[in-house]
Amino acid sequence: MGKKSLVVLVLILCVGLLLMGCPKKTVVKEEPGMKRAEEAVAEREKAARLEAEKEARAKELAKIREEEARQAKEKEKEFEKSLVAKREPGIAGEVFESRLLKDIRFDFDRYDIRPEDADILKENAALLMQYPEVKIQAEGHCDERGTAEYNLALGERRANAAKKYLISLGITADRISTISYGEEKPLDAGHDEEAWAKNRRGHFVILSK
Amino acid sequence: MKKISCLFFFLLFLTVIPSAEARVYLDINAPTFVQIPIVLPKWKGVNPTPPGLPVKIYEILANDLTLSGFFKVIGFNRLPDPLKDKVGIPTDVSLVEWESAGGEILLIGETAWKPGDQILRLKYHLFDLVERKHIVGKQYEGPPQALRKMVHRMADEVVLQLTGEKGVHNTKIAFASARGEGKEITLCDFDGAEMKQLTQNQSLNLFPAWSPDGKKIAFTSYLRRNPDLYLMDPDGQHFRRLTSFPGLNAAPAWSPDGKKMALMMGMEGKSDIYIIDANGNNPKKLTTGHGNEASPTWSPDGKQIAFVSDRSGSPQIYIMRADGSNVRRLTYEGGYNTKPSWSPKGERIAYCGRAEGRYDIFTIGADGTGLQRLTSNSGSNESPCWSPEGRYIAFSSTRAGGSKIFVMNASGFNQRPLTSAKGGESSPAWSRQLE
Repeated sequence: MGKKSLVVLVLILCVGLLLMGCPKKTVVKEEPGMKRAEEAVAEREKAARLEAEKEARAKELAKIREEEARQAKEKEKEFEKSLVAKREPGIAGEVFESRLLKDIRFDFDRYDIRPEDADILKENAALLMQYPEVKIQAEGHCDERGTAEYNLALGERRANAAKKYLISLGITADRISTISYGEEKPLDAGHDEEAWAKNRRGHFVILSK
Repeated sequence: MKKISCLFFFLLFLTVIPSAEARVYLDINAPTFVQIPIVLPKWKGVNPTPPGLPVKIYEILANDLTLSGFFKVIGFNRLPDPLKDKVGIPTDVSLVEWESAGGEILLIGETAWKPGDQILRLKYHLFDLVERKHIVGKQYEGPPQALRKMVHRMADEVVLQLTGEKGVHNTKIAFASARGEGKEITLCDFDGAEMKQLTQNQSLNLFPAWSPDGKKIAFTSYLRRNPDLYLMDPDGQHFRRLTSFPGLNAAPAWSPDGKKMALMMGMEGKSDIYIIDANGNNPKKLTTGHGNEASPTWSPDGKQIAFVSDRSGSPQIYIMRADGSNVRRLTYEGGYNTKPSWSPKGERIAYCGRAEGRYDIFTIGADGTGLQRLTSNSGSNESPCWSPEGRYIAFSSTRAGGSKIFVMNASGFNQRPLTSAKGGESSPAWSRQLE
């Protein structure tokens, strides 16, 4: 009985020791456990937030893309809408003109592209980039002064100067043909500097859409 | 037209009295000359000639003589006495009496024609009123439709007798004429009569050029949305495309032997002078370098070509051999000299130059000496071309508003509009004598 009692006592003591030691240890152990839980919650919340944000961004992006697509479509419509068919008696074929494909001008007896016209050609090139199927013809025109024949040579040079510039902006050469009309097709029938300035031009027509 | 030419083939002209010795009354190559006063009485119609016919003949003849620039026509109301063609000199013409009209030369003539007749007869006599002698008398016969040609031929004879050189009275001038949005090649006699539109395609038809034999006209047309070279007969028939190289095919000029053409071509992205065979084949580039090259014109011996180039920075006239070698600059006066035209005798080149902001016609020796200004203070004057013998220059001028064809003597004298058109005429080209 005495031996059994001792074992029980030892056990009790052990348990007592365990019990005595346990509270401290439990406190120590319990603190990090609680923190992890909080962090997990926070992380979950954060993830959710990020997810939401991401979703929102994606939605926003989609919206922007949609808007862009809509705008592009509208622009396309605008370009399509801007095309005006042009038939000239005695000159083969139907061509189109667009106010989005803008004219450039030249100084008297010159065929170099002026800085302000370089910007116009950049816009024209951007438009052509957007519509890779479009083929154009660059027309060189002159004012009435000087002889018709020399003006025809000058117009040839002007049309080719415009073509070269568009090529330098990345438009392939096979999309641009040239023609010189010399002084034969004035825009303004007047005989003053104002009319002459308008008539010294590079004009672009669309041969195929 | 064909019918008339065919009938005209049978036209005869008989020398009634050949002049004993040719005397030149007027040296037309002298820098200045005084017009010969020529007395031209009313033309006589031998019965039963309808009275309208002699009036018409008189008008054409008086106009021809005036337009030649060599004569001052003095009208005279008295009808000539009957002409005597058997002996030649009419015995009943009192030359003393004609002197009172104030002329040096007397030209009298008559016509006999019965309505319905296929033969029309014209007769004229030319007298020297200063020396009181008969110069020449001739008779012409032809179908009535050829009346205008017969009178022109008569006027040519008068010019030949008095100046020693043939006139231009059976020549034609082709030019581009504005019609709506386009320009059509148009033709008329040297006196502006018989205007005829040769092309009817509403396109831009430009730069007509006569073949040396007068049987073809080459020109540029935009029919295919490119300035290509075309060819047709002077009646508009046998219209066909000659070249269609990409870029310019413009301003053709036939070589004097008619075998080749010089022209402006743009195959390399700028205008250069090329030579092609008359059938449009075998293009050969003559000019090199980076300039704009334009408006070729052949020397009459076919060995050289004058043209425009801006290689010096401004357009100037240059001359090269017909193979493209030995290029030399001809013009140095002024900053804009274009559209040369080599005279048929070879010594001079006419061109359009800018002076005081205006464009005027100049001529210069083929050696660069003897620059002459022919027009001034009269609008813009462009595109000179010579008459076959080199006595006249046709050109376009805006002096009366729109651009019109004018004609003047090679010295700049006697400038007059060719037609009564309001404007829109350009690029004249003068034919050879057409028979």
